[in-house]
Amino acid sequence: MKTANQPLLSLKGITKRFGALTAVNGVDLDVCPGEIVVIIGPSGSGKSTLLRSVNFLEEIDEGTILFEGDEIGYVRNKQGRRHLDAPAKICALRSEIGMVFQHFNLFPHMTVLGNVMEGPLTVQKKSTAAAREIALDMLAKVGLSEKRDVFPATLSGGQKQRVAIARALAMRPKLMLFDEPTSALDPELIGEVFDTIRSLGREGMTMIIVTHQMGFAKEMADRVIFMENGSFVAQGTPEDFFANQMEHDRIKSFLNRIL
Amino acid sequence: MKLLSGRISKTAILLFSCLLLLLVPVSYAKDYDQVFSDANEAMGNGDLPAAITILKKVQFEKGDDGGAFVRSRMQIARLQFALKDMPAASATAREVLAVYPDNSEALNFIASVKQEQKPRYVVFIEDCLRFLPQLLKGAVMTIALVVCIILISPLGGLLIALGRISAFKPVSGLCWFFIWLFRGTPLLLQLFFIYYGLPSLGITFKPFTAAILGLGLNYSAYLGEIIRGGIQSIEHGQMEAAKAIGMTYWQAMRRVIIPQTYKRLMPPIGNEFIALIKDTALVSTIAMVELMRSADQMFNAYFNVTALILAALIYLLFTTIFTFIFEKIEIRAGIYENR
Ligand SMILES: Nc1ncnc2c1ncn2[C@@H]1O[C@H](COP(=O)(O)OP(=O)(O)OP(=O)(O)O)[C@@H](O)[C@H]1O
Ligand SMILES: [Mg+2]
Repeated sequence: MKTANQPLLSLKGITKRFGALTAVNGVDLDVCPGEIVVIIGPSGSGKSTLLRSVNFLEEIDEGTILFEGDEIGYVRNKQGRRHLDAPAKICALRSEIGMVFQHFNLFPHMTVLGNVMEGPLTVQKKSTAAAREIALDMLAKVGLSEKRDVFPATLSGGQKQRVAIARALAMRPKLMLFDEPTSALDPELIGEVFDTIRSLGREGMTMIIVTHQMGFAKEMADRVIFMENGSFVAQGTPEDFFANQMEHDRIKSFLNRIL
Repeated sequence: MKLLSGRISKTAILLFSCLLLLLVPVSYAKDYDQVFSDANEAMGNGDLPAAITILKKVQFEKGDDGGAFVRSRMQIARLQFALKDMPAASATAREVLAVYPDNSEALNFIASVKQEQKPRYVVFIEDCLRFLPQLLKGAVMTIALVVCIILISPLGGLLIALGRISAFKPVSGLCWFFIWLFRGTPLLLQLFFIYYGLPSLGITFKPFTAAILGLGLNYSAYLGEIIRGGIQSIEHGQMEAAKAIGMTYWQAMRRVIIPQTYKRLMPPIGNEFIALIKDTALVSTIAMVELMRSADQMFNAYFNVTALILAALIYLLFTTIFTFIFEKIEIRAGIYENR
């Protein structure tokens, strides 16, 4: 099923409900290798839920997820009901998709190096030496080599988020998901995290980034998507988006509010 | 009270004994029955000095079998002993020895006067030395029980905690029932049931096995709830982050969630283990000879409260050591939070 120009990730009709509330409503999205997609939108519009669905942290109610052309994550039982695939399969899929959270979620009882080693060590069952080598590489990449032996509690927010990025990268993912990676940071710390993401982009990493930082969206995104009430309302290249889509009243008022 | 009433009736007794002095010479050396009954009366009135005065009228006479003399002198000695006049008491007993050097009653009496004259701390130390070997044997059993339960119950508790939060209903239901049962009934009843009740169903345990079983199940239930609370107090994002790098639920539990509960669990688990030290005393009721039972045996054999005091001190020593150890462990377990 692999063709030269196929999307890395392809979402078709993704729907996720919480009881009566439809958080994500029939979303279609193709992300090509190396593409950087930025999703913006008001609070509660379903951005996090969409990202979490891609990583199977939420079980979707409808739709299919294709990764490198293969349908992944869900199987049908004898009665024809669709459900999440076996845990081992899901874990294998997750290790190909890195995720970075708003609140970092570093493991506080492990050193910085321990955090970054944990994936290769426990999930990939690499030797300590091999895991350590990978982790040191990743820490160098995010510029925190000298912090390797301290515990997360002593780091600044920006440093924590860079460690979290290194931890995700240590699994050598093909796709990175960022859910408001700078929203919990003091303004002066936002830059260092975006510098790190920017350098990943230069290396050709495929990324879906949820953010409220329009400057970053303009500069880095290949595509900007505006999401509201669980659906994509508008999308385009940054130039197109900020020039033309601004005609949408809702987008205009949203941007006015956050800028 | 006794002293007060003694003072009040002092004059009356004095008059009374003067009267007796007039009367006694008549029946002198022939029959001391009257003297002894007068003395008894004085004692009955609580006037011990008067009784002594009366009894002193009995004299030793050659040819006499000396029975009345020995009897009167030993009684005087006991009265002086009761009045805490130790030198006088032993002097009186020696009067008997002067006549009958081998009299065992007098010899024993002098020995116990000597014992009484020792400073109290010397007596206490002697009692301690007397009781300690037995009590230490009991204490070793108490420690053996405590160590066994400390090894067993955290594992049992962890299993129950994981079962309780399991998404698989039969397992979580079973664990809920287990906790409900063992936290909802007295430990003493559980021990009785296992040791005295199960034999009627054809299941018989040795006392030690029954004790380990009862304490182990009970403490697993308590620790299960504590550990569950600890696991659920870990922020949800930790599990998600662990899953996001590809960990399975059990890998996340083992590597990420459970290690973070150690510091939080240390104070409540420490409390449980201190309670455990004291709860082991309950197994003395199912034929286990541990510290409490040893103390009880010593107390009943000698009717000496030192046995109980000593047992209390040993329990305090254990609980103090435990408190200290758990504080140290707690500090070490949480090292990542304050570095
Ligand atoms: N576990 C859940 N249970 C019930 N409702 C949920 C749950 N998670 C999210 N929702 C609801 O789904 C909707 C979408 O939430 P989501 O977190 O995806 O929004 P968002 O776009 O990420 O918002 P924000 O910018 O505030 O992060 C919201 O109305 C939210 O209340
Ligand atoms: Mg969100």
